[in-house]
Amino acid sequence: MNDLLELLIQPLRYPFMVRGLLASVMVGTLCAVVGTYVVLRGMAFFGDALAHAILPGVAVAYLLGANVFWGALLMGLFTAIGIGYVSRRGQVKEDTAIGVIFAASLALGVALLSTVQNYSVDLTHILFGDVLSVSTRDLWLTAGLGLVVLLAVVVLYKELLVISFDPVLAATLRLPLSTLQYLLLVLIALTIVVSLQTVGVALMVAMLVTPAATAYLLTRRLWHMMIVGAVVGVLSSVGGLYLSFYVNIASGAAVVLICTGLFVLAFLFSPGRGVVWSWLRRQEGSAASALETT
Amino acid sequence: MAPVLEVRNLSVAYNGSQALEDVSFRVQQGERVAIVGPNGAGKSTLFKAMVGLIHPLSGRVEAKGAGFGYVTQRSAVDWTFPVTVHDVVMMGRIGKMGWLRWQRLRDREIVRRSLEQVGLLEYADRQIGELSGGQQQRVFIARALAQEATILLMDEPFSGVDSPSQEAILEILEHLRDQGVTLLVSTHDLNLAVERFDRLALLNRRLVAFGTPQEAVTPSTLAAAYGGQALWRGEDYALVLGDIDCCGETEHSHE
Repeated sequence: MNDLLELLIQPLRYPFMVRGLLASVMVGTLCAVVGTYVVLRGMAFFGDALAHAILPGVAVAYLLGANVFWGALLMGLFTAIGIGYVSRRGQVKEDTAIGVIFAASLALGVALLSTVQNYSVDLTHILFGDVLSVSTRDLWLTAGLGLVVLLAVVVLYKELLVISFDPVLAATLRLPLSTLQYLLLVLIALTIVVSLQTVGVALMVAMLVTPAATAYLLTRRLWHMMIVGAVVGVLSSVGGLYLSFYVNIASGAAVVLICTGLFVLAFLFSPGRGVVWSWLRRQEGSAASALETT
Repeated sequence: MAPVLEVRNLSVAYNGSQALEDVSFRVQQGERVAIVGPNGAGKSTLFKAMVGLIHPLSGRVEAKGAGFGYVTQRSAVDWTFPVTVHDVVMMGRIGKMGWLRWQRLRDREIVRRSLEQVGLLEYADRQIGELSGGQQQRVFIARALAQEATILLMDEPFSGVDSPSQEAILEILEHLRDQGVTLLVSTHDLNLAVERFDRLALLNRRLVAFGTPQEAVTPSTLAAAYGGQALWRGEDYALVLGDIDCCGETEHSHE
């Protein structure tokens, strides 16, 4: 018992681990709550693209020696609104618009970063995150913006629910449908920017989608899904960080792998919906019919 | 008596083609109107123009009272969405609640009463995907009631619903009429429209006929609405071909 406690406490002796853990908890919560809408609205590709599209903003800020955070924020908002605009114009399908903008931004980001000397190291950090280099200032930024996003999700709960479940009803109720849809894109962009340092560009979509998808398998109401998703997100973030501390693997990857493990468990064993559950029910059914025939 | 709903010279274009042309009719309070016509006749378009989802080219829609409740086709919604029956009906209250407001006792009371009216009170806490097709349709009716709508527009409520459920829905509609709720229902089922509704609107881009079922359904109006799909045998027997209930998928997939 004491050994286990020691196992948990030991990493906390390093301030960078404490900061990393705090960042992970915040990011795990935020991504899961906002990710609920990403999963329910089928926006996984949008989330993935948006995360990658932030790269040029990061690159420019980096080259100018400015805080990478603000470059990412600007680029994230710009891309979210850009994709929203192009797909609303209706000349091309939404996933086509996303594909075009996403690849273009990624190329621009790589081109910009390749002008730097030690570019592969920097690119790796941006692509896969570097949670252990989170500074106290970064923590405050994450906390501040994260709270703003969560507050928006709570305050506009019923409006965002309706535009996601039944946009036609939202329109007949005279809700400002397109404003709310843009707002949701902006909230997703903010979440991605805030989480950038922890999980990185490449694995961002996993944090947006996997905890929420796990919760989707376990719940039947939207706000339950948000809460369970947040629990899954926090568990995998913290678990992943400990795993990377002891096994010495990349922290972002460890977080995503644990999260995926939890998803697989839910996929198999979710009461009423899991694979094992429906298999058992089929067995029961055939046993019952076998009894009847004898 | 002044009509509760008046549509005047309504014309709508959709993706560049004329979907509705110069449609005019009046409906009195409490009347049940069936809107019948072949696929692509503009039944859904008419409803969408009435509630303001589509801007008409010209014409006016004037409604008295608290306005429209629009019951969309069941296929328009993702039934695996994590919401309960109660949650969905509560959505009808959003317009009344206003921004930054949480549901109040009055909202809960109205939702409870609406669920009671459609006989789904005991299903309030079920996830919507666990219901049958007919029950899902009733959830949508309850939501329109929670909106306190005085005119209900229902788009193909009977498609993909078995006949006991259809009967249950018709019974609810009868109760609603007694409460002074006006109903406009689009359907493929000409028999049902003739037997169970007060007024019948025969639509095929233009309003071919509007009146009591006896007035509206004649050999010439059916021929005008259905063209070659209608076949008359003798004086009072008609066969309308090629319009078997198709769940409206072809008509609505692009809307």
